[in-house]
Amino acid sequence: MTEKTDVWQGTLTLMVLKTLEAIGTMHGYGLARRIEQTSGDLLQLNYGTLYPALLKLEQEGYIRSRWGVSENNRRAKYYELTKAGQRRVHKAAAEWEKTTEILARFLAPAEEA
Amino acid sequence: MRRLRAVWMRLRGLFFGWQQDGEFAAELDSHLTMHTEDGIRAGLSPEAARRQALIQLGGAETTRQAYREQRTLPWLENLLRDVRYALRGFCRNPVFAITAIATLALGIGATTAVFSVVDRILFRSLPYAHDDRLVSVGLVQSLEKQEFTLGGFFYEWRDNQKPFTSMTFERGLNACNLTEANPVHLQCARVAQTFLPTFGISPELGRNFLPEEDLPNGPKVALISDGLWMSRFNRDPNVLNKTIDLDGHPVRIVGVLSKDFEMPRLQPTDIVLPATMDVAAQHTVNSGIGFPMWAFARLKPGVSIAEAKAEMEPLYRHTQQWIPAEFRKEFLLQIRSIRDRQMQDAYTAAWVLLGAVLAVLMISCANVASLFSARGAARARELAVRSALGASRGRLISQTLTEALVLSVAGAAAGCLLSEGLLRVFIAIAPTGIPFLATARLDLRIILFTVLVSRFCAGLCGIVPALERPRATALVARSTNAGTHVRLRRGLVATQIAISVVLLSSGNLLVKSFRNLEQQNLGMQTHNVITVQVSLNPARYRTGQAFMDFYHRAEASLRRLPGVTAVGMSDSLPPDDNSWHGGMRYADIFVAGKPRTPVGTGGPVISRLVTPDYFRALQIPIVEGRGFAEEDRNASGDFIVVSKKLAERLFPRGDAIGQHIQFANYNPYFVLDGPVFTVVGVAANVKNAGLAGEDEPELYQLRSNHHPESWNGHCIILIETALPVSVVASWVRSQIAQIDPIVPVEIDALTQSVNRLADRPRFETALLGFFALCGLLMAVIGLYGVIAFVAAQRTQEIGVRMALGATRMDILRLIAGEGVRLIVLGGVIGLGAALAAAQLLKSLLFHVGTHDPASFIAVILLLVVVTLAATLIPARAAMETDPMTALRVE
Repeated sequence: MTEKTDVWQGTLTLMVLKTLEAIGTMHGYGLARRIEQTSGDLLQLNYGTLYPALLKLEQEGYIRSRWGVSENNRRAKYYELTKAGQRRVHKAAAEWEKTTEILARFLAPAEEA
Repeated sequence: MRRLRAVWMRLRGLFFGWQQDGEFAAELDSHLTMHTEDGIRAGLSPEAARRQALIQLGGAETTRQAYREQRTLPWLENLLRDVRYALRGFCRNPVFAITAIATLALGIGATTAVFSVVDRILFRSLPYAHDDRLVSVGLVQSLEKQEFTLGGFFYEWRDNQKPFTSMTFERGLNACNLTEANPVHLQCARVAQTFLPTFGISPELGRNFLPEEDLPNGPKVALISDGLWMSRFNRDPNVLNKTIDLDGHPVRIVGVLSKDFEMPRLQPTDIVLPATMDVAAQHTVNSGIGFPMWAFARLKPGVSIAEAKAEMEPLYRHTQQWIPAEFRKEFLLQIRSIRDRQMQDAYTAAWVLLGAVLAVLMISCANVASLFSARGAARARELAVRSALGASRGRLISQTLTEALVLSVAGAAAGCLLSEGLLRVFIAIAPTGIPFLATARLDLRIILFTVLVSRFCAGLCGIVPALERPRATALVARSTNAGTHVRLRRGLVATQIAISVVLLSSGNLLVKSFRNLEQQNLGMQTHNVITVQVSLNPARYRTGQAFMDFYHRAEASLRRLPGVTAVGMSDSLPPDDNSWHGGMRYADIFVAGKPRTPVGTGGPVISRLVTPDYFRALQIPIVEGRGFAEEDRNASGDFIVVSKKLAERLFPRGDAIGQHIQFANYNPYFVLDGPVFTVVGVAANVKNAGLAGEDEPELYQLRSNHHPESWNGHCIILIETALPVSVVASWVRSQIAQIDPIVPVEIDALTQSVNRLADRPRFETALLGFFALCGLLMAVIGLYGVIAFVAAQRTQEIGVRMALGATRMDILRLIAGEGVRLIVLGGVIGLGAALAAAQLLKSLLFHVGTHDPASFIAVILLLVVVTLAATLIPARAAMETDPMTALRVE
């Protein structure tokens, strides 16, 4: 079995936002699966941690939720981005890119320095 | 913004949480169902699929917990839980909660009420810009101790002074009338043009006077008070430049003063007019010393009052030339802050009250802390259990603090109500002499003060027990071991006892002093004497003759009333020295054939103009010679009666009768041109300088018929009668009405007006006595609580001791000894502090030494009796313990 990585602190929010941006609207379980898939099954996601994160985003007004029916005819709560959420995705993504870029410099081979 | 929104949502979550919880349960359920179905599709058994789903979720309960913590504010939720828990605890043990709340309410209520009273006297700033830089500048002398000045001095000071940025003056109040439709009687103040700028007052509307308006014969203008603007002009903004008719002259309104405007000497004022002083004339009018006025100045930054006085002293000495040489030395320069000038001796009383009430607050806080500590000891095991189950130290402390907070909030609320009530009582029973009392209110600042005090109490009450770490031993110990608790509480109780000793002894000293004041011999009778004062309008009674005729007719007709044994008249009455009375300097009395007394010595002598029956009505004994006789009034000579004290000084050889006396006149230089008086008698001394003052020498001049010019509005008719005032009053009114039907008549029993002089000490004594008793009560509750608690804690020990052969007396001694130690410790500390505190009371005491042994012994006795009772009750209960029961106590 391949070794899976834990979700880094603070990145789950970005993953959720980015996933929602990609697929529009989805329920919590679907989001969890989608995030795992997107990570190429490299990520060890504790599904339970998703819900407080969703709630926090909702409290901050970046996403909204409503009850709907799933493809298998199950009642499920669906989440989607709000306008503020869409803006937030871009901003957070840009910030993240900057962070990784900085980190990349530290990790770069020594001869480049 | 986002964060705020999130906090708001979470706050909502706190109160509508049950809704969201249900929703999340459904969401979780749907999650698990979908996951399980996926698992089954992948080929797992339903059980395995569900297990897999739960594992990946990380546990349903953990998820729910994490969700809940995100949904609400955990600390707030904890707080609410603690509050609920505390309330439940209080309901289970209402005696504890009620005692604590009552104690706190009393402490906070009394503190708030007293703070409301003294706030304005001690702390609140006056309604002037930088009021701490404002001073009152003037002269004082033995006959006038409130500094004043004269036009002849002021301008020279103003033009040459260095310590002040500006100097200004006011000329006092005059009655004035608004003589237009609906005439009103008003009070007009006259102030210099520099008055408002010096005080940093700007009018609410309009402007200050212009310099040219402050000149004699300048344009007539006025500033009106906010009250007059309201009552007369209904706050009409067009009031500016309106012309009003003041005493028959048109005067233009140029400004309106703000609502909080007050004159520096606190006179109630309706209209402020420019003083329009003729500066040049000040060295010629009023015997060359100028008109009287009251000067105020603003200190330059960095200049203290003492420095200002030192700098003004040479200037003052230079201006002394305007004072007649004879009494030049009697005048002194005085500079003091406006607050001092306004508050006079209310200061000491206010500090004493504040000190007393803070002491009560300390006792009540100590009491509540002690209650909490006892409760903490009783709950040591519970805390230990909670600690063992994982409650952090912080959680335990915050829970105890929450309990204290709940109590102190309840206490503060009850205290606010109590203080409102107390304040009303204070205002109702207070004498008029305490400045601003009648307008004292519980305002926002004071409520804030209460809240701070209650927070302080909560902190103290909460921290003390919480500081004690729950020990693991508390879990296993058969009985709770509360050694530190008890030591702490012993300290608190000893402190309470010490503070109550201070309060009680101070209260006792004041009570004793007050009793001395009330029961002293005034040297005259006050029972059976009724005073009648008639205000004669000088516009209708234009000459002394007219006044004399009126009073002679009144005297004659009152004498005809049944039950009236004497009718005397005087221009003033003892014992009040603050009401108007005549006076002179001892050095101005000249005895024929004797050398003149050195100038500037001897102090004041009170003089009264009386009719012969004055001595009869007040029953002042004549100890030598005779009093005035009725026929003296028409005789051509001028007669005088001196008090014993004056006679002893003027005629040390005891040969007063028949001597001749003359009084110095100054117009403006010393002359001896007045009538020659013959001493006909010596009267006993009368208390004449206030209830608490030392007797002053006094002389009585006969109001004789050949000096009609000596008659004026200063006349009090004294009626001696055994009948009650209510009966005589109506007869007096009808008699006076027959002479002049439209004069207002004031009738009062002399006992009443003398009684009023004692209002102030009565008020102070009553308050301090009340606080002292409150303090004692609370200290006793505290002591009782500790002893009872210790006894309960030691039940088992008592059982063992008794089983081993201790007698019941031994047990009593064991438990009571505990209390006695505390009483002795607290008593000794308190006694020391009380002796020190008595020094501070010195100026309030009358004929009581600050170390009055009887007072202190009485306090100690009272304390010992009461506290021993508080000790013996629980000690007796311990004594009665049945050893078998005691041993079985878990």
